[in-house]
Amino acid sequence: MYFFVRKIISFILFLLLLMQSNLVSSFEDDSGCLLCHKYPKMGRIDENGVKRSYYVMPGVFGSTVHRNVPCTDCHNYIKQLPHKPVKTGVSCDAECHSIKNPATGKNFSHSSVYDKYKGSVHGREKIEQGLDSDKPYCITCHTNPIYNPNETEPPKRIIDRCVVCHEDREFVTNWYKHTSRRIREVKRTPEEIVQLCSNCHSDESLLQRHEKAASEEGRELGRKFSIAVESYDESFHGKVTKYGFTKAANCLDCHAKEDNYYMNVHDIRASRDPESPMHSSNKVETCRKCHIHADENYAELDPHPTSKKADNPFRYYANIIYSWVGDIVLVLLISMALIETIGRRRDGVSWSLRKGSSWWHRSSKSKDRIE
Amino acid sequence: MKLSEEASKVVETSMRMNRVDENERNEIIQLIDRLPDSRVNLYKNVVSNPIGDLPRYSIHIRIQHMLTFVTFLTLAFTGLPIAFLDHVWAVPMNNLVGGIDVSRIIHRTLASVMIFGMVYHIVYIAYTTMRLILIGKFELQRSIIPVLKDVRDFKMDMLYFAGKRDQRPEMDKFMYKQKIHYFAAAFGNLVMIISGSSFIFPEFWAAILPTSMASYFQEMMRLSHPHEALLALLVIAFWHWYNVHLAPGRFPMQWTFLTGKITREHQIEEHFLEYLRNLVELPEERAYLHDLLDARELATDSIEGLETVEETP
Repeated sequence: MYFFVRKIISFILFLLLLMQSNLVSSFEDDSGCLLCHKYPKMGRIDENGVKRSYYVMPGVFGSTVHRNVPCTDCHNYIKQLPHKPVKTGVSCDAECHSIKNPATGKNFSHSSVYDKYKGSVHGREKIEQGLDSDKPYCITCHTNPIYNPNETEPPKRIIDRCVVCHEDREFVTNWYKHTSRRIREVKRTPEEIVQLCSNCHSDESLLQRHEKAASEEGRELGRKFSIAVESYDESFHGKVTKYGFTKAANCLDCHAKEDNYYMNVHDIRASRDPESPMHSSNKVETCRKCHIHADENYAELDPHPTSKKADNPFRYYANIIYSWVGDIVLVLLISMALIETIGRRRDGVSWSLRKGSSWWHRSSKSKDRIE
Repeated sequence: MKLSEEASKVVETSMRMNRVDENERNEIIQLIDRLPDSRVNLYKNVVSNPIGDLPRYSIHIRIQHMLTFVTFLTLAFTGLPIAFLDHVWAVPMNNLVGGIDVSRIIHRTLASVMIFGMVYHIVYIAYTTMRLILIGKFELQRSIIPVLKDVRDFKMDMLYFAGKRDQRPEMDKFMYKQKIHYFAAAFGNLVMIISGSSFIFPEFWAAILPTSMASYFQEMMRLSHPHEALLALLVIAFWHWYNVHLAPGRFPMQWTFLTGKITREHQIEEHFLEYLRNLVELPEERAYLHDLLDARELATDSIEGLETVEETP
């Protein structure tokens, strides 16, 4: 009896172990990182009192785009276990030694897009002090995305068709996930793009910090730097985008060069930079992406309009005049309606028709209706 | 009633234009003589049909008004949530018509209908005016064109409302309020069309304007479209609807925009000169007045006289 109980318990434990191994087997842990990082409580409270978790959820990481990259390819500063305190962390231009780029045969790396980003107005090192630390690093915008979040399982019909020749269902499934995620439009929606840029560009303290530093250093900032988001929100592009319309220009449509969208969104430049699509020499061409008949005059129209005095005094005063005229007209007309009501009421008019006349009230001014 | 010089002229002109024969002419003059001296006495005692007694607007004008007001309200409904996006009502209001993808189509389509209404009106007015000129029946003061008399009418009317005069001025088919409203709407329409076109065809406007002006023009249009729309909506809500729905004597509504007819008491009170023309043009109106005057004694200015009048059966 006791023997059987032991057998059953061992079997259950074995099953549990299987389930566990099934969970972790979704990515390779050659270096044994999960020995420690599998524990949910793994973490510490840092010098600033911030709680930091070092827990890696194997099941989640195993379904992300980086699941085939061994930990030490990115965390290449880890040479021994247990490792020393981490100083800089992962840099996104690291070369993966385990994954080859099938097109070039070289080690896979994000360095081409990383270099583009470093040359842009947003470029910074991973660890920065001072003003540059306000700039976005790769992970400010890019998380480690999960495969098609809207599609838990690839369509059976397609996989069925693939396995007719490719035989291995798991291979086909992974291949499908890898490819379909990249073929699909994985851009953020225009609304999300505006929100993403706004995270920093509408942060008052950040903007003030940069304006102050620029004026102290005698550095030039963009004319709309401090009002970029609120003025965009006031424009037609901004308003309809906020309503979820997808064909109006968002930040990246004008501020990133056109030829390769996915590369050039990393290469945002100040509009005074001749390489910027917003530079006066490139503006017309940029407008023509959507407004095909745009000319020099058109490029002068302000895509970031405001009625602020410092930004556009003409519009500021025009707005004041408009508001005053509107208010005065309304006050005059409503006063006229009031005085009319009082005057005619005094003469005996009423709100309803009685025996074919509205004038059946007694008048304090002239003759009454004869009944 | 002894007519003022102005009113006599209107009656004379009308009789000449309508080629009234001698008998009719005498009848009209006699009838006017029989009228009570005070217009107040007349419009307080006539019997009116609430849906209207006397012709005022042709079917074309009524269709044009219908086109204007249906498109205007729908344009405002679809446009305001975009202009005033940051207000709490904006998003639900926009969702009510199916979101931005639908509302922008509605807005542009109805803008075209509104422009069609305007063109229809201009063509119709031009045609009827030409025709009236050709048959010799055109009278400037009977049209919507503002004349100096309107300023005088406005002053007199204000004095009446303030209690300084005992009756309203003798006003024509279109009184000063209607002229203000008509030209305000015409101007507003034009502003909305030009500014709206500068949103849908910004390249066109930038191309035809000089470089120094293109940007200022666009900014002006960006301001004008919502400001003008809001002003128009508030004027309609607080003034036009007051005039045609809420004012005493007009409540709950004037049926003119549907039936094309105005009530007798309203015509005499606010458009007396036009009422005199009605007397010339419509024998049945003269017959009505004869009956009224036969049945009830309205004449004389003496207040004592009025008190002795017996009740009519």
